[in-house]
Amino acid sequence: MEATRARVWDRTGLDGRQALADSLPFAALLGMFAWCVILQPQALSIYGVSLLFSSSIPLVLATISQMFIITLGDIDLGTGYAVGLANVISARYLASSPLIAIGLFAATILGYMIAGALVELRRIPSIIVTLGTSFIWLGAALLILDIPGGTSPDWLAGIFNWAPSMIPVPFLYAAVIAAVASVILFRTTLGTVLRGAGSNPQAVARAGWSLLRIRMLAYGLAGLFGILAGLALTGITTSGDANASANYTLLAIASVILGGGDFAGGKAAPIGGVVGALAISLVGSLLALLNVSSDFQSAVQGIILIVVLAGRSLTRRFEA
Amino acid sequence: MRSIRARWAEPHKWLSLTREMLAARPWAWSFLAVAAVWLAIGLISGRGLPGTLESALDLAPFLVLVGLGQMFVITAGNGNIDLSVASLMTLAAYVSAGVMNAGHGSFVLGLLAGLACGVLVAAVNLTGILFLSIPPIVATLATGLIAQSAGLRYSSAYAALPDPRMANFAGGQIGGISVPALLCVGLAAIAVLVLRSTSYGRWLQAVGQNQRAAELSGINVALVLVVSYLASGMLAALAGMLLGAYVTPSLDLGNPYLIDSIAAVVIGGTLIAGGRPFAAGVWGGALFLILLVTLLNVMHINVAVQDMVKGVLIICVLALAGGGAGRSG
Repeated sequence: MEATRARVWDRTGLDGRQALADSLPFAALLGMFAWCVILQPQALSIYGVSLLFSSSIPLVLATISQMFIITLGDIDLGTGYAVGLANVISARYLASSPLIAIGLFAATILGYMIAGALVELRRIPSIIVTLGTSFIWLGAALLILDIPGGTSPDWLAGIFNWAPSMIPVPFLYAAVIAAVASVILFRTTLGTVLRGAGSNPQAVARAGWSLLRIRMLAYGLAGLFGILAGLALTGITTSGDANASANYTLLAIASVILGGGDFAGGKAAPIGGVVGALAISLVGSLLALLNVSSDFQSAVQGIILIVVLAGRSLTRRFEA
Repeated sequence: MRSIRARWAEPHKWLSLTREMLAARPWAWSFLAVAAVWLAIGLISGRGLPGTLESALDLAPFLVLVGLGQMFVITAGNGNIDLSVASLMTLAAYVSAGVMNAGHGSFVLGLLAGLACGVLVAAVNLTGILFLSIPPIVATLATGLIAQSAGLRYSSAYAALPDPRMANFAGGQIGGISVPALLCVGLAAIAVLVLRSTSYGRWLQAVGQNQRAAELSGINVALVLVVSYLASGMLAALAGMLLGAYVTPSLDLGNPYLIDSIAAVVIGGTLIAGGRPFAAGVWGGALFLILLVTLLNVMHINVAVQDMVKGVLIICVLALAGGGAGRSG
């Protein structure tokens, strides 16, 4: 009952608490950014903002990847290593033999689609399948590049080193990514059916849609955005490292949830997720500005996750 | 229905009979797989079979300990899973080694300090799950992150050396069999008894099968979860302490045990959706995973390929053995 009511409110947008939840990632981002500015006033400039958010784009893309899967009510524990795989593929092959790189990217997306098919056909929980795929991504990445190295093609590094004096480039890219994800999720048939399959798979199946195809496409999109995240990482770091993005799995989940996504599925918030990812990526910079040991970075991320989810479930409880 | 013995007399029915018996005993798959891998190692390496098993028995207890705890949590169903075990193992290894201070500190206090880490982590997990209604997967991931920071902090403050008393215990042998292995056989037997003959065990399975029905029949679901997560926390802490003494505490000490513990439990026949535990199967799953690594090593397979093979095998085993029964999600 309550769930239905909440969902109707979501759609009509009349619920004040929903507005509060929607503004949560923005509030988190603004609050943390303000804190950074207080500690380091120079952060309040185009250059400062660009620098502060310079490495956030891979996480933003990984968040969108995770979002496609969470919207279905599944979870992907392999995001971090998939990004790492794309990172090493692009660092090792993209400059010298782009065809091999593209072939390997296609294989990765295919792997994602097979994982989605297994979840649907064999009814194995996604958490188990993606634990398995995370091993496969990591192994493949180590096979391609067992020690960090490689290089970035100039055009890719150029995209991420572009620093015009008038525009904070990371925000521009984040806005483009949010727009693309919003269009996919809210303006295409696939997006609509995908969200429907997350909240009520039986209804979608009865309406004649193939859940198998939906799940495979959603996982394929997740693989695609994971690869884009790996490319962004290569462009920024100009090298490949199979393990560098291992913690993206959790950070992407945190960003999706901070942005307003729901583990129950059916609820996608691409703009919130992107803003949430920007906020989460500030944690490291903020701790550095505060002179707090980086040892505490993961604890702070964990605490943010707990606080956000606790806040959300408490508002829900009052609603009932 | 004719007796099984009568049907064994007809050889052409052996296959279907075997299948039937396996279906009734999902944990048997894991032991069959163990036997297959064990024989393959013997054939490929020419190593003696007892020696292979003995070295697997040295390593298995750490995984069995974490796995047994994970089994209690997974059996509670409804998405319950403990993803904090890896960081907890590392933390407990450092804290107990720090307190024991390489033989200069108190052994009992060190043991208690390590177990206290387990209780503390379980308490944070339970606070998130029970009071803040956070999905277990996120609550335990977040707690794991906090434990990871705590481990990092502790490791930079103290140089942790394995305690000789603990190392003696973790590496000790009685009649050629490792002491922790004997301990774990005992613990698995206790787990079987707990699941079969205590109220907690029956409540746990009822909660895992249908939480709403269990609640309506008066079962205290919160209490069941408290006991399960406490068991998982304390067993993982114990595994961390033993492993830290067996090797040397390091920051990634517990990392491989997160995925392996879940895999060992599920390969052992425990239903990932909850409600159907198999304590003996955890031993089968753990031995399978460890012998698999041995097999890949004797075949001189690259570590990176080993990861991939392991990933594919985990998915395949679960698709074959565990599929169809659980709910996706």
